[in-house]
Amino acid sequence: MKVKFVKSAIMGVSLASLLALAAHADALKPLNSDTEPDRIDWSQLDAKFGPLPKAEGKLKVGAVAKALNNEYWRSLGQGYANEAKAAGVTVDLQAGQGEADQLGQLAIAENMITKGYNILLVSPQTDANLTPAVEAAEKAGVPVVNVNDAVIPGAKNYVGNVQKDNGVRAARWFIKNRPAGGKVAVVEGMAGVYAAVQRTAGFKETLAKEGPGFTVVASVPGNWDRQLSYDVATNIIQKNPDIVGFYANNDGMALGIVEAVKAAGKLKDIAVIGTDGISDAYKSIKDGELIATVDSFPVLTGEVALETALRLKAGQKLPRVVATPQALVTKDNVDRYTGDEAKVRKNLMEDAAAK
Amino acid sequence: MTTPPSSAGAQTASEAPSRFRLRLTVRDLGTLIGLVVICAVFAMLSDVFLTERNLVNILQQSSINSCVAIGMTMVIISGGIDLSVGPVAACAAVLAASLLVSGFPVLLSICAGLAVGAICGAFNGVLIAYAGLQPFIVTLGTLSIFRALALIYTGGNPILGVPTEFRRLFASEIWIFPVPVVVVAVLVVVGSVLLARTPLGEYIFAVGGNEEAARISGVPIARTKIAAYAMSGFLAALAAIILVARLGAAEPTLGNLWELEAIAASAIGGASLMGGKGSIVGTILGAIVLGAMRNGLTLLNVQAFYQLLATGVIIILAMLIDRLTRGRE
Repeated sequence: MKVKFVKSAIMGVSLASLLALAAHADALKPLNSDTEPDRIDWSQLDAKFGPLPKAEGKLKVGAVAKALNNEYWRSLGQGYANEAKAAGVTVDLQAGQGEADQLGQLAIAENMITKGYNILLVSPQTDANLTPAVEAAEKAGVPVVNVNDAVIPGAKNYVGNVQKDNGVRAARWFIKNRPAGGKVAVVEGMAGVYAAVQRTAGFKETLAKEGPGFTVVASVPGNWDRQLSYDVATNIIQKNPDIVGFYANNDGMALGIVEAVKAAGKLKDIAVIGTDGISDAYKSIKDGELIATVDSFPVLTGEVALETALRLKAGQKLPRVVATPQALVTKDNVDRYTGDEAKVRKNLMEDAAAK
Repeated sequence: MTTPPSSAGAQTASEAPSRFRLRLTVRDLGTLIGLVVICAVFAMLSDVFLTERNLVNILQQSSINSCVAIGMTMVIISGGIDLSVGPVAACAAVLAASLLVSGFPVLLSICAGLAVGAICGAFNGVLIAYAGLQPFIVTLGTLSIFRALALIYTGGNPILGVPTEFRRLFASEIWIFPVPVVVVAVLVVVGSVLLARTPLGEYIFAVGGNEEAARISGVPIARTKIAAYAMSGFLAALAAIILVARLGAAEPTLGNLWELEAIAASAIGGASLMGGKGSIVGTILGAIVLGAMRNGLTLLNVQAFYQLLATGVIIILAMLIDRLTRGRE
């Protein structure tokens, strides 16, 4: 086997040198979706590039979500479906079997390319797991749009929110509403995932810069898991009975923390802020338990993502990143961001204009 | 426990390989028929399923699992189980990738990754063979330990920027077959010969079939077990290196749930978790069955939850057919 291996290695290298002559230079620098200068806000698309061009013929769009057992990805799929209906194209949504099914998701993406979709929308499980599929799609001339939240380094087009901003907004809430400062803790998503790293960094950096009265007493992974976050929060509260707040990288974890806070009988003293804006989080906010969530509007994100893809397919040269909106939602403004999709879209458009 | 007469032990050890070949050819044929039936159904329902590109795709997608499952089959035949293959793969991947990124020669980096895999596997084997711990528990423990090592080593971040020279090694094709598929084909031949024609293969069957009898007839139990786990670790590392080449990055979370996919492929292919039974060809067919299922269901646009359901049904169905045709033993 060793001999065969060496043989194929030699063969590979000689083939590679041949290919190197033919291959075009890969000048695209690794994408950092938060800081990429070549970007546009979603609200500016119509103004800068005109209304969405009519799709030619019957376009088939393939979408690969992370996993459908998280409401966020189902909502994103709903956005795809809405936009597809409006634009007169068809969209098929597939997903991995869980948020850790990396090879399965890759196989699904490859199979969708074989099936012959005209456009591919992908939300990879990790930064790297869909790389071969993206390369294959580009070779086949199929435009690929990377939609939230893992970032493929070689992605030509990305649609999603500024991850760091999630943490920044949560931190500013504490600074404004808890002027006395105090102890706070962060419950992070899966270690090493871009969204988790950026959200946490945004929170900590903002507190360090703008909120001198605050100390972050713990910043530990909750792995996007509600049960684990409950346990983690219980331990943190035990160790720091005077803690004033938690920031969680997603809503599932935030709701786990809320349960822990309730169990400790400290719902009045400890404020919990989540991220994503899933329906359970909204319910909890209305019930006065979860203080706030930083909603990134998955349905609207899905609509913008498909719109971006259709514009690319029509030959428009868009900036590399299309930024989608987010807002800190509390009991006071919850009505503004829930209910009728068209109303929410209009309100977000107003927010963008006010910026 | 009564000690079986030594003549019976010698018989088990010497007869196991030939008996196995005779019986499992029929069993492998059964898996093959199952695969053909599944493919026929998909071919009727989707017009792209039988295209050359799609079939090559299925083989390519099954190659990682096949590679891991070959090692898993060896361990299962020896009466054990290896739950730590995914984390072992992650350790090998992050080490090989970090060497590559810091400019070490490709071959050296690959060998280092493979060596790490074999060492991790051997570590499992030593704990099982010499400390007498149960394989399930040992590899459950090392599943956490090796995953932790990979996370600690990388600080949780993926290692990006693997040189293209290394990537092309596995991205090229030999005739129409991608290199990973060819590597697996070679492994099937080597693995089958090893199991059927070498003393080590004989020992693996003997240890898994009846350890007490094997011990009495002079089989080196401990070394056999260590060899089986080392091979499993080595092959998990090889799968990891192929994957790093395909993805262009090594992530410490790589290899999640590989153990379950590999065990499923082995079981569909006829390996018995009680030990003493199994075949490499069967395992590969099992892996391809799983790959073909995933491929076909995606082409038919079947949603993820139903794909999971279908995979589970196939495993149970394979086991039921196995039991009915083989009878209770």
